[in-house]
Amino acid sequence: MREVLGDRRTVLVLLAPALAIYTLVMLVPMLWSLGYTLFDGSVISGFQFAGLDNFSRLFSDPKVADALWFTVKYAVVITVGQVLFGYVLSLLYVFVLKRASALIRTLVFFPVVMPTVAVALLFQKLFEVAPQTGPVNALFNAFGLESVNWLGDPANAFVVLAIMDIWRSMGFYAVLLYAGLIDIPEDVLEAARLDGASGWRLVRNIVIPLSFPVLVSSLIFSINGTLKVFDSIYALTGGGPGTATTPLTLAMYRTSFASGDYGYGATIALALTVLSLLVTLLIFKTSRRDLTQG
Amino acid sequence: MKSTGRTWAPRMACAVTVSLALAACGGGSGGDGGSSDDGFTMMSLNENTTQDSVITSLSEDQCATQDEALPLDITEQAQESVDQQIQLLAGQGALPDLFPANTPDLIRELAENDQVANVQDVLADGDAADAIVPAAESAADQIFGDQLVLPVELNIEGIWFNKEILEANGIAVPQTWDELVAAFETLQAAGVQPITNAGSGGDGWGISRWIGAYLFRTIGPDAMRAIADGEASLTDPEYVEAAQAIAELGEAGYFGPAPNSIDYATAINTFLTGEAAFMYMGSWALADFNDPEANQIGEDAIGFLPFPEVEGGEGNSDQTPTNLGTSIVLSSAVAEEEQAQAWVECIASNYGSVALRDHGQITGLQLAEDVEVPPLTGLVQDQIEATDESVLWFEALFPASATTASQQNAGLVGSGQMSGEDFMSAVSAELG
Amino acid sequence: MTTPATPLVAPHADLPTGERPAPRPRRRRRPMRALRKLPLYSVVAVLLISVLYPLVWLVLGSFKTQDEFLNSPTWALPEDFTNLENFDAAWGSVSQYLLNSTLAVFPALLVMLVIGTAAGFALEIMVWKGRGTVLLVFLIGIMVPWQMILLPLFTVYFQAGLTQSLWPLIITYTATGLPLTVFLMATYFRAIPREVFEAATLDGASMLRSLVSIAFPMMKNAIFTIALVQFFFMWNDLLIALTFTTRDELRTVQAGLLNFTGEFGVVQYGPTFAAICINVLVILAIYLFLNQRVMRGMAAGAVKG
Repeated sequence: MREVLGDRRTVLVLLAPALAIYTLVMLVPMLWSLGYTLFDGSVISGFQFAGLDNFSRLFSDPKVADALWFTVKYAVVITVGQVLFGYVLSLLYVFVLKRASALIRTLVFFPVVMPTVAVALLFQKLFEVAPQTGPVNALFNAFGLESVNWLGDPANAFVVLAIMDIWRSMGFYAVLLYAGLIDIPEDVLEAARLDGASGWRLVRNIVIPLSFPVLVSSLIFSINGTLKVFDSIYALTGGGPGTATTPLTLAMYRTSFASGDYGYGATIALALTVLSLLVTLLIFKTSRRDLTQG
Repeated sequence: MKSTGRTWAPRMACAVTVSLALAACGGGSGGDGGSSDDGFTMMSLNENTTQDSVITSLSEDQCATQDEALPLDITEQAQESVDQQIQLLAGQGALPDLFPANTPDLIRELAENDQVANVQDVLADGDAADAIVPAAESAADQIFGDQLVLPVELNIEGIWFNKEILEANGIAVPQTWDELVAAFETLQAAGVQPITNAGSGGDGWGISRWIGAYLFRTIGPDAMRAIADGEASLTDPEYVEAAQAIAELGEAGYFGPAPNSIDYATAINTFLTGEAAFMYMGSWALADFNDPEANQIGEDAIGFLPFPEVEGGEGNSDQTPTNLGTSIVLSSAVAEEEQAQAWVECIASNYGSVALRDHGQITGLQLAEDVEVPPLTGLVQDQIEATDESVLWFEALFPASATTASQQNAGLVGSGQMSGEDFMSAVSAELG
Repeated sequence: MTTPATPLVAPHADLPTGERPAPRPRRRRRPMRALRKLPLYSVVAVLLISVLYPLVWLVLGSFKTQDEFLNSPTWALPEDFTNLENFDAAWGSVSQYLLNSTLAVFPALLVMLVIGTAAGFALEIMVWKGRGTVLLVFLIGIMVPWQMILLPLFTVYFQAGLTQSLWPLIITYTATGLPLTVFLMATYFRAIPREVFEAATLDGASMLRSLVSIAFPMMKNAIFTIALVQFFFMWNDLLIALTFTTRDELRTVQAGLLNFTGEFGVVQYGPTFAAICINVLVILAIYLFLNQRVMRGMAAGAVKG
């Protein structure tokens, strides 16, 4: 029996297509770009071997340090927000709305469908301060508060960014987690209820442990998305005001293609990849340990 | 495909990848997007419909013969990705015959690597040898150090003002910087927004232009050349002074509320709906000024003021900031091919009048025929003709990273959140 | 990892509707008073307003003129609801872009799902040395910023003469979607006890056969969820589409939306909104069409609890 499950030819047939495409289109170009980290120059003027110059530059570049700090800050806040709101929504779907949730699920999912360009435009308009007063500031004024320069101030711009990205992705995570929650066997819940567990205790003691694998997947998925954030920031703030909301990806894209400094851009990309790798491994290790406890 | 001794890395990886992949590496030498066998190729900006339509209309009329010999083939590229695309294609030695000069620094780099043709050389032997007007020639010299573009756009910059607002507040057209600042003060006191200029995201050039123009008046026309040549630094006191002068306008609130969240379209609209008195802008805005739907104050209400002189400064207000927009660059392949040259000659001879007639676009090319123009366009034409000496703009000679730093941070100067000194050091850091 | 004695996720979780154990009779509930539901209603109402307002705003916006965008408040109604100029301006090009997006996304999606599921199966159900490492190798793909592979890929596509077609998009989408698909499929397969497949082999089925006749049907919901996720990634991608499409007639919807921006960054709001509206409507249609199947499956799931 184990022989059939371990049949090498079958493994090869099943795995080879995916592994081949993945290797050719992602791994090889990645290693290729990795090679560029040792070079200086551009596609136009040609590359010269530069040894570890790019790396020493990386560690002393205040711009990279700023971008790194912003990336981490952004990733933590947005990941927690996305997964938390998504989880609360999915609990709402499964335990409160039940059958009525289908329509609401679809509607809350809707922002994911909107193109980034459109979402960014919407939020720019919502949080507009001048020349017209946007709805949010109008609300502030109605309560006797001063208008706030939302996108022109570093701290406020981050708030708008966070609201926008959590808003647009919570429906998505809700559906992802919902798929995990409806799979919890009814008899397990029933048994817990008979034991008198309800509300928060039911969620904490039964639901969270049982939906843990999906939660971890969502977390890994989310953190890797937020560490590599590009579109939404590019469209909403363009990295500004100043460079206050510039993540590593944007810094890398600008370095590689606006400045044509491909080697250094690849070095920044490598740093980001390593960061993602470490975070993922950390989550992975922690969760595997928890999983095997049972 | 030109092989200029590029490194082993791309080649080897290409060999590895492609020998495994569907297609073979050697098979595509020269590629598919190459220039010569595909007709007369042009990459144009998505966002700039004028160039597309003028050249297309030339291919059907004045340049029909050339088009028959070498059919025109236009591909469009979004401005977002055009620099990236040019670099990628240049890396393959496959630049199209014509492409946009989106970022001067990139074009200069291409020229250093022999990927770009000298326009004067291409035109020298034919009928179009004198097609380029002197103002455009001088601007190209300053920006690129050589004649690297076919100047299908030529813009002058300065301060546009709303005559009616000035009159209503009893302000005479300011002749010096001090008078200008005094006018701002009067307007601000009267509850009128003195200036509108964009400062959000990458639109910060609306405000960095003020800093550049001020520098050309205080230090003189070579102010930015000295920076590029390393003879001066942006953190020198006389440079910081210019940024500080603009930062003070920002602190006083003259740029209106939150200029760093205002984009280009909003800034122009604020001016054209009579909500602000002054705006620093290039003559490309004529398209909006001449559009009655956009321009609600009427063309008669708009006046042009060359950036005023600063007391004790080296520069004077006859030195007009000039740029060539996103003019057309010729790839070096054009110089080697007769049919392509004939095409370029035809464009050089006819583009100017067609663009002006059909699109109101002022070019740096001689007109083949007389064209009647709206009064504001005429005013700009006169100004161009009267210009002996042109100057550039703040970022013209910067590498891309410094340009980004300048445009990103200028908005903060305009909103009074950043001092002149901080701004100059932030940009200076990118100049390395 | 061996299968734990008590499966963490219900083994029958992904059974298609028909094979699902019949829902047990529901407990009788006391009639709830409307008052008690009030907080719930208001939460749901706020939720719906926050997600529906953009749609309304978008639709309203597509009827507005540029002047209204710039000079009237954001929440104002359009002056003329019969103003279809924006749609007129948008439709001509958007129809082509929609076709391109469809031609690029669906083949990529299909290939990616088939080979991704197979690989997930091989990595989680099959037993062989080194599968942990291979899974990790796939996982790296989730972490690599896509910006990093653009230059090498462009070179290869260009040399292979593919840049004048949609192939670069199809190939790149397939590959960039694979890591997540493989990873998620492996996660979902973990929920199926290996005994199911062991039993099948006892009956003489080969592993390939088990995959096709047991794993695929059991995984329908999971595959659908992944398909949905990946569809939106591919459909909303801008970076890859901008890099590899050089001709207007090859442009996808997202890249095409930039068309309505002027040279100095002046957005032509009306046509942009109309184009986005058309795009969103098409996606919604696709989504609802595909969703019908799964909604039926999920409805059964929602009954319990």
